[in-house]
Amino acid sequence: MAVFEARGLSVRYGAVLANSDVDVSLESGQVHGVIGPNGAGKSTFIDALSGRKRPSAGQVVLDGEDITGRSVRWRRSHGISRSFQRTSIFSSMTVGRQLEMVARRNDEPDLAGIIDTLGLGEVVDRVCGEIAYGTQRSVDLAIALIGRPRVVLLDEPCAGLVADEAVRMLQHVRELCRERNVAALLVEHDVDGVFRTCDVITVLDLGKVLSSGAPDQVRADPNVIRAYLGSAA
Amino acid sequence: MTATTLPEVSQSNAEVPAGRRSRRGLVFGLTVAVVVAAVGYAVPYVIKDTYTMSLAVEAALLGLLALGIGFLARHLGLISLGHTSFFGGAAYAVGVGVNHYGWSMTQSFAFGVLVGTALSLVMGVLVVRASGMGFLMLTLALSQALYQLCVQTSFRPLTGAYDGLLISFRPDDTFAGVNASDLQNPGLFWPIVWIVLIVCVVAVWLLGRSPFGTILEGVRENEERMRFSNYNTFRPRLAAFVLSGLVASLGGALFALNGAYVSPDILGFSRAGDSLIAAMVGGLGSLIGPLLGTGLYVWGEAHLNTGGNLHLYTGIALIVVLVFLPGGVTGTLQRIWRRLRKERPGMGGRR
Amino acid sequence: MNAAQVLNGIALGSLLMVLSSGLAMIYGLRGVTNFAHGALYMSGAYIAYSVSLHVSFWLALVVVPVALALIGVVLELVFFRPLQNRSHIELGLVTFGLALIAERVVVLIWGEKTLSVDPPPGLRGTTSLFGVEYPTFRLAIIVAAVVMAVALVTWLRRTRTGLYIRAASQDLETAGIMGIDVNRISLIVVSLGAALAGLAGALAAPYVSLDPGMGDTFLIIVLIVVVVGGVGSIAGAMISGMALGIIQTLTTVWSPSVAVVVPYVALVVVLLWRPQGLAGRRV
Repeated sequence: MAVFEARGLSVRYGAVLANSDVDVSLESGQVHGVIGPNGAGKSTFIDALSGRKRPSAGQVVLDGEDITGRSVRWRRSHGISRSFQRTSIFSSMTVGRQLEMVARRNDEPDLAGIIDTLGLGEVVDRVCGEIAYGTQRSVDLAIALIGRPRVVLLDEPCAGLVADEAVRMLQHVRELCRERNVAALLVEHDVDGVFRTCDVITVLDLGKVLSSGAPDQVRADPNVIRAYLGSAA
Repeated sequence: MTATTLPEVSQSNAEVPAGRRSRRGLVFGLTVAVVVAAVGYAVPYVIKDTYTMSLAVEAALLGLLALGIGFLARHLGLISLGHTSFFGGAAYAVGVGVNHYGWSMTQSFAFGVLVGTALSLVMGVLVVRASGMGFLMLTLALSQALYQLCVQTSFRPLTGAYDGLLISFRPDDTFAGVNASDLQNPGLFWPIVWIVLIVCVVAVWLLGRSPFGTILEGVRENEERMRFSNYNTFRPRLAAFVLSGLVASLGGALFALNGAYVSPDILGFSRAGDSLIAAMVGGLGSLIGPLLGTGLYVWGEAHLNTGGNLHLYTGIALIVVLVFLPGGVTGTLQRIWRRLRKERPGMGGRR
Repeated sequence: MNAAQVLNGIALGSLLMVLSSGLAMIYGLRGVTNFAHGALYMSGAYIAYSVSLHVSFWLALVVVPVALALIGVVLELVFFRPLQNRSHIELGLVTFGLALIAERVVVLIWGEKTLSVDPPPGLRGTTSLFGVEYPTFRLAIIVAAVVMAVALVTWLRRTRTGLYIRAASQDLETAGIMGIDVNRISLIVVSLGAALAGLAGALAAPYVSLDPGMGDTFLIIVLIVVVVGGVGSIAGAMISGMALGIIQTLTTVWSPSVAVVVPYVALVVVLLWRPQGLAGRRV
């Protein structure tokens, strides 16, 4: 059974329908990729799933229970966490201090493990505002992973990263999700990366689901090729 | 996010070292506190002149007010024009306790602190969700509302309205072992206010280094991520506000015991502005900055106030600090210190 | 409640209307909560006093806006423009410091004693209106304020500069991108706002007595009016200024203690219910 689902989710910004009737379901241990051209509504989708934005229609479902009205904090305390496209960290604190702070609130048995896997060991005592951008992205991700959340929503973790950093980031994502049996949603711009990393892929275009399924299936879908893949590299 | 005038704040907090070093810092800090406390005790023996001593007492009392303002600014980046309400409110409450209810000084003191803190709870609930200019406006508005209420003629029996409140202590009554008339002697009152001040400074310092302090910093830095990390952001803010109100209330209650008279001016716009300016000039980014600023203010009030020109100087000082010396006196000194450290050969700047 | 009290309310509301329109314009354009607005009002009143004393009140009504406009120019060029990238709080506190200095300077020049200004001949005495004998000068205040309000709104809505001001008040960045010379517009707005504050002071001079505290008294109320009326909305500020003047005056008749807190309660309610009031309109 799916751990976390969006059912017929629609999100409105004034007159614009950013997401329209989107169905996505996440399973534990699986990485579910969401791709689409700019303006496809990917970030809005995560905002709706994480509680940052109220959907205008549809449901967000956790373990079969409708949690659409639940607050951001409720979701986090029930194992739904997210990372941010625009790096959201605590610039004035050291890396170690902020991770400990988050770990205090969300019981994390193995903080050292997260720090290790993401290669943050060297910067633990460095002030977060002063480290390299790529490392800051890893801190953003680490904060999202603390406390063994069951569902992790990743909003373009590779944004602003150089090619090899991006590859490593996606490897980390895959490793950590498999290890911790997390149901992950990966919204990304880097199409090749997504095809490499994900078990299931959903393609959004103009707020609607264009196609969904295993990577090979989606890659071969004529709708997708026409609207999206054909124009990308 | 909070609009902060304190670019220095982030820097000074970022220097907090991890683990082992922090424990050393703790011991060092406490040692300094004990030494300073002991030295301070000797002040009345060095300063024989009553007038100067009374200035010192005034600086210490207002220092508690500034400490409260500074705590909020330093850890939450919130600038308040409302703390004089807690200082003044506590003072009035002491007067009401003695005059109206006939309580002892100790009881009235407790009552005063309680009332001041309660006022901060009420104001905090209304104010703490705002930030930046909105927060400033709200604290100003609420504190001036309290002022207006206190000067209403209908409240005259309780507050004395514009005339202020003269507190009639019973001559045989004592507070902390000092009797009523001696409390008005600055040399004899000094140990009391000094101890309270040191204790509050240490308490605020420890609080800032505690997990609670980290949470406050997190809320200030990135409130949204805190919520996304399952932290309630309203409660720590409110707690910080009430704590700062508590410190200010201690000052106000002691003020009433020392002066035996409370003027409504203590609640007014002018005083609110002065207390904030003093704290800012000293430097909101450091622990002792507001205290230093208050000292300067009291000195200025005594020596620069010829013809009532104090506000001319405070106005100029405020603008100079805002435009040229962000972080106030202590912030500027910190910057100079850092720059000197960087230039020493063989010292790779940690910055 | 009788006609005289209502008219008093309208007179107070008129002054608030003139003051708040200036403040709202400055805030809308420069994002500055001008704590010096009370001091500008006070300066206008004191300058009017001197000019009335030596020449005539009518000349004061001309001199004051011009003088205050010049002060506005200085404010814009020396403070608001160079510091425009600082946070709102810093700018607000700078104006706070300026207010302290200005108010002290006024006292140094004119002294601490309460001063009064006589209404000009022609506007003295009372007029019979709605069954009461009402001071003619106060009626003049009301008329002047209404005329000013109409003129201002018309100017904002009908002229090109007015259009630029409205556009820049709504979205400064976009206005700049679209080619509006924000610096020039700001200069106009700030000097106009200061002139309006001074004019309010000059109009108020024969009505209220002049004392060193008059700036502070009005400042907080006007700040509240602007926030309650809606940030950057000049019409909103004017309407809420008039409304508050009337409400406060009439409430004073019923219960002075309650009346005094009315503006503060209004501010708290607005800021809690629509916190975008001051805190959120601009970044």
